[in-house]
Amino acid sequence: MDIIGNLAHGFAVAFSFQNLLFALIGALIGTAIGVLPGIGPVATISLLLPITFGQPATTAIIMLAGIYYGAQYGGSTTAILLNLPGEISSVVTTLEGYKMARNGRAGAALATSALGSFFAGSVATVVVAASGPLLTSIALSFGPADYFSLMLLGLIISAVLAQGSIIKSIGMVVLGVALGLVGTDVQTGQQRFTFGIPELSDGISFVALAMGMFGIAEIVLNLERPEARSVLKTKVDSLWLTKEEWKRATPSVLRGTVVGSILGILPGGGASLASFGSYMMERKMSKGRHLFGQGAIEGVAGPEAANNAAAQTSFIPLLTLGIPANAVMALMVGALIIQGIQPGPRMVEAQPDLFWGLIASMWIGNVMLLIINLPMIGMWVKLLQVPYKFLYPAILVFCCIGSYSVNNNVFDVYSTVVFAVLGYMFNKLKMEPAPLLIGFVLGPMMEEHLRRAMLLSRGDITVFIERPISASMLAIAAVALLAMMLPNLRKGKEAALSG
Amino acid sequence: MLPRRAWLAGGAVIAALPAITRAETPWPAQPIRLVVPFAPGGTTDLAARLVAQGLGARLGQPVIVENKPGAGSTLGAAQVAQAAPDGLTLVVSNIASHAIAPSLYRDLRYHPLRDFTHVALLIETPSVFVANPQFAPRGLGEVVRLSREQPRGLDVASSGSGSSNHLLIVQFGQVTGARVNHVPYRGAGPAMTDVIADVVPMMSDSLPSASGHLRGGAVRGMAVASAARHPGFPALPTFREQGVDLVSNSWFGISGPAGLPPAVIGRLNREINAVLAEPATQRRFAELGGLVSPLSPAAYAEFIAGEVARWAPIVQASGAKVE
Repeated sequence: MDIIGNLAHGFAVAFSFQNLLFALIGALIGTAIGVLPGIGPVATISLLLPITFGQPATTAIIMLAGIYYGAQYGGSTTAILLNLPGEISSVVTTLEGYKMARNGRAGAALATSALGSFFAGSVATVVVAASGPLLTSIALSFGPADYFSLMLLGLIISAVLAQGSIIKSIGMVVLGVALGLVGTDVQTGQQRFTFGIPELSDGISFVALAMGMFGIAEIVLNLERPEARSVLKTKVDSLWLTKEEWKRATPSVLRGTVVGSILGILPGGGASLASFGSYMMERKMSKGRHLFGQGAIEGVAGPEAANNAAAQTSFIPLLTLGIPANAVMALMVGALIIQGIQPGPRMVEAQPDLFWGLIASMWIGNVMLLIINLPMIGMWVKLLQVPYKFLYPAILVFCCIGSYSVNNNVFDVYSTVVFAVLGYMFNKLKMEPAPLLIGFVLGPMMEEHLRRAMLLSRGDITVFIERPISASMLAIAAVALLAMMLPNLRKGKEAALSG
Repeated sequence: MLPRRAWLAGGAVIAALPAITRAETPWPAQPIRLVVPFAPGGTTDLAARLVAQGLGARLGQPVIVENKPGAGSTLGAAQVAQAAPDGLTLVVSNIASHAIAPSLYRDLRYHPLRDFTHVALLIETPSVFVANPQFAPRGLGEVVRLSREQPRGLDVASSGSGSSNHLLIVQFGQVTGARVNHVPYRGAGPAMTDVIADVVPMMSDSLPSASGHLRGGAVRGMAVASAARHPGFPALPTFREQGVDLVSNSWFGISGPAGLPPAVIGRLNREINAVLAEPATQRRFAELGGLVSPLSPAAYAEFIAGEVARWAPIVQASGAKVE
């Protein structure tokens, strides 16, 4: 078969000494910046970009790609151990992963995340190789109306599935959407809710919001309850998964891989949408759904598999269309153009070394990451035994560096502090911050697509029902909403969640 | 009162110290910070990094690129306007921050000419109209005709409201009488996706970001807004050739805060133009789809003044206005 010949060619390229070396360097750097909260792949890749000017194009892209998916591996480490999401994609890992760590299962959570990521990464590599161009055409069939309906569905499901009071979680989603609308209106260029502060004209920084609400608020809560810290000091019994845990995690990894591979291809989607999507799915479908909120392994396995699968399939729009799906991919385009390669639909034929070499290197990189990460799990877990009085100042410093380095702007550090205070208050009021984050991410995208769909249809609202993709999404959303409102079903849901 | 006098004298010596060192060691004694007011990865960022590398080698001090995106590239520009005029803080001045923003933002924190010392122009890149390959009209004349037949106008996408590409659409409507329905996006990438997917038939883009898709045949070029045909795309006719008298280039250069010492201005301009003259730079800028345009500092300042005056009435007509 053609694809096997192509892959063999790709492995021949990727196995050259230079390419292997730079794949390893990329994976190492990626893991390191993933572990350090707040220092993300965008800042790192832009710093390293000039180094790649002198390298061959294939080597340069292999290294930069290694940094990107290496960061996905490393990012889950701080999310699980310290409740600190450095990136959107690891927000949901904090929800169950951190609880597992507090239950003394930090090692199992880390192992699940590494193995799940490896499996998903391997599958996604095959997906990219086998059906990249085909999947691109599916992604292109999503119009603005379809995106709107998909995101509406996401928001409704996140409200339906939230823990505790439904009123509170709907309130948090709405508040998140409102915060997401701060900034410049895409349609008119008008600034909204910026109160004349130019730093707000591009919206509130996601990193500031996530670090403040999850990371710093968590530190304050820990300092408030001395007994909570001692939980972290309890002996970690085993680094490996029990038989029972294997059984529960495996189907979640499989589902996460599928969800991640699909959502990664959608322009504007990528790893973050994938991990949210998988989390929601696990919460509804997995056998352990009644354990969510107390450290369910499914809530780590699914999203971690999904975000790694998506990190790799998000190369598909770049490699087949030349369109970057996120900020990291935009940097990849830049690196290619500097090398004299125009990313576009002809790249697969014009640059076979690059295309197939990159795909092969992704798989090799995943093997390397597994080898780097598994033996280190014991070391990371020891981090929890560091006295908290030494740990938390370091975390605070990294949070400040992280929120500053996204835009090189002190204003973002101040925003982090404001959101830390808010996050602390929400915790005291028993309001979950996760629905707020989902609203914050999806809300503005939803508005943009809604208004674009209306602009293109000249104000005709029937586009949302006429298009089959959009219509089916809306139908599912309506069913979910109805299910939430029917009283006996709702009782059943509460019983399931509390029991 | 001796101790106090000694203190004062000591203070004076300390205050004079930096001046002495400055006189003894020639500029630049420290690394130079070059603020790029855009996110990393775009054409401006790449070109700035290329120039920074060459410039650093020539000046003997590293030139460090710092991305400070936000508010249509005015945040980074405002920061440099307030910096000390010691030649150690520079900004990539561009069509958005220095030509369009003065008319677009009501309370901009800087004046595009008075608050800066303009040093050198780097690159000019023309705008292009590109369309989905299935789009029926072959030339601009047919586009105008089609747009008049449609009751609410023809959909045309751009990278954002108030961008130079958006303003070209506005100008196109003014000059030809075409009826256009502007569809803004958050950046050129998503807009291009929707043109390829035929959600919107046509878009106004800058040549660097469109060139890969043009070469790959994912979109068809309708017209390029440069004065003459672009050497990289000899088959793509200009607006003027098709009877539409429009030339629209986006551009960027290097500027510093107002009051840079003349010696620093002269040296910077000389070294930047030397970097631009290197074959390696020329080749890479051509790959980016731009034309290298060396200018003297005075000519660059004059160029910017002309651009500010030129875009003001078009911004007015576009209806985009940021409070």
